[in-house]
Amino acid sequence: MKTLPFLIFGIAVLAQWAAPLSQIWTHEKVLTQGTLIKLKCTAPDPYDPLRGRYLAVRPNQNEAAVSAGVELQQGAQVYAVLVTGADGFATVSSLSPTPPASGDYLRVRSGYVYDHKARIEWPFDRFYVNEKLAPEADKWFAENIRSTQGITAEVRVLNGRAVLEDLSLDGKSFREILKARVK
Amino acid sequence: MNTSHQRWLLEQLPQWEREGLLTPDAARALRERNALDDSQPGAAQIVMGALGALLIGSGLIAVIGYNWDDFSRPVRLLFAFLPLLLTQLFSFRVLKRGAASSAWVRETAALLQALATGACIALVSQIYNLGGEWPDFLFWWFMLSLPLVWVLRSHAVAIFYLIAIAVWSVSQVDRGSPWFDSPLLYPLLLLGLLPCWPGWKNQAPLSLSMRWVMTISAIFGFCSAAVFASQSGIGFFSDHAQSFLWLWTLTAAAFALFPLNQNGIEEPLRRKPQVELGALWLLGYGVAITFHDVSDDIIRGALHALQLPWCWGLLTVLAVFVLLAVVRKRWAVLSIASVALLPLIACPFVQNTDKNYGTLLSWLATLHLAAIGITLIVLEFAGKKGAPRLGATLLSVLIIARMADSHFSLLAKGVAFIGVGVAFLTFNILMSRQLKLKHSAAV
Repeated sequence: MKTLPFLIFGIAVLAQWAAPLSQIWTHEKVLTQGTLIKLKCTAPDPYDPLRGRYLAVRPNQNEAAVSAGVELQQGAQVYAVLVTGADGFATVSSLSPTPPASGDYLRVRSGYVYDHKARIEWPFDRFYVNEKLAPEADKWFAENIRSTQGITAEVRVLNGRAVLEDLSLDGKSFREILKARVK
Repeated sequence: MNTSHQRWLLEQLPQWEREGLLTPDAARALRERNALDDSQPGAAQIVMGALGALLIGSGLIAVIGYNWDDFSRPVRLLFAFLPLLLTQLFSFRVLKRGAASSAWVRETAALLQALATGACIALVSQIYNLGGEWPDFLFWWFMLSLPLVWVLRSHAVAIFYLIAIAVWSVSQVDRGSPWFDSPLLYPLLLLGLLPCWPGWKNQAPLSLSMRWVMTISAIFGFCSAAVFASQSGIGFFSDHAQSFLWLWTLTAAAFALFPLNQNGIEEPLRRKPQVELGALWLLGYGVAITFHDVSDDIIRGALHALQLPWCWGLLTVLAVFVLLAVVRKRWAVLSIASVALLPLIACPFVQNTDKNYGTLLSWLATLHLAAIGITLIVLEFAGKKGAPRLGATLLSVLIIARMADSHFSLLAKGVAFIGVGVAFLTFNILMSRQLKLKHSAAV
């Protein structure tokens, strides 16, 4: 029996497991140890042929000030310093090329840079929903688009990484609201 | 001779023996010489195996797409890894059986495992609501599937890999990416299929379908790399953007001259898509630069391209291929490929006067193509391998092109067109007769 094909096959199998497992490890760590922050956002409903229905999550804040004396390149990886306001919602206070010494921060990509400000490309942009719930999400979104409360993205943050944990409206989980509407 | 021709020949042999056209010894010699290699899967086997695997894989992805949010995260992760584990076990069994496994089983196992890998990555990113761009997902998918091509010798996964690397390269053309995340990576990705290449540890010649997929993938991959490379050092609205057109042409010349062994050279043109498509682009490009405006743009683009490392890399590869083609005496292909180098000859002699580079390149191209057309005809009449019909077509197109941008009256142009048409048809008839004469002499 030749060994080389089996060796290559073994390495391939390991790699095929390692790639998703490393993702799981990283994101589980953020979910269990990360700080919960809330962001005001909008969420229309598109479709991904490979991963199914999702809500395209777009935080309301789409630009932030660049730290004084810092020049950012479009597309560069930068750190968004997060500050939580009195209303409990987090905002990005500034963007800098290095992580802050303390406090919560997120690793994002900077978009178009102008007038000491830069567009933020958020590291999360989708929240997957059950196919059965997706049409209801469409309707719900159309009905509530003008709501003053807005949709809240609940995000766990750890060492610059972020995992979108849930969406909510008025403190209620988005999935629970939709499930109640479907019943 | 490809497998279907061999199969046809083997089917005819008993009848030819019965009719006395062949002696038993001659029939046996033909059988031995054209014995079918059963380790190579037939097209129908691949299609059936691939279709089955695709249906199962697509079903798997659709089931995953439903998003079973009633289940906890660990249960959903189990859904992702269970199909992967099962397909891996299936592939391991196929690998262990070695030659005892039939070709279509091998194909199915490899394709199923590749699809399960993609489905697993997709499900994990669904469960954790990961953003990210689809090219990143595609990149990891095809990289994790590549070893299956080596160990299971799967044509279907090789085709998936070739299509995926081309799609990924096209999607990465946008400026600003580092080289390792850009189409410049394509040549290295293509090298990933080296163990499938003929001559590598007794690999059989590539099937025609694989050749076409590989050529088309390479066209998209290398052309994306050329576009990406040509963007460096220029402004967004720069008029040097057309430099990639010349880089494409150098790539086409490299395709046409891609080194072949003697068997490859003797194969008919339809079995060499890289030569067919490369020559087609070169001739189209050659005719296009006979027009003054186009030649002006090409010169401008070439002057910029000559500052790019990608261009010098291409020229170096082309120089090596030219040398090998000279050794193999591939004169017809060499003459067509030489069209790509015309801007290189013209560049030192042109001066930019009021954003205009003169007519040198357009005249050079006209004369060069005319010389190629005549050479292709003369080679045939001199008893060497030429392409008289292609030569005549080239001359006709050149005359039509020159008449089209001339200031002659419509009447003169009309008469010229009729004259060229009649000459072309007469030549065609002449060639058909000569071919018939040759054929009857051979019989």
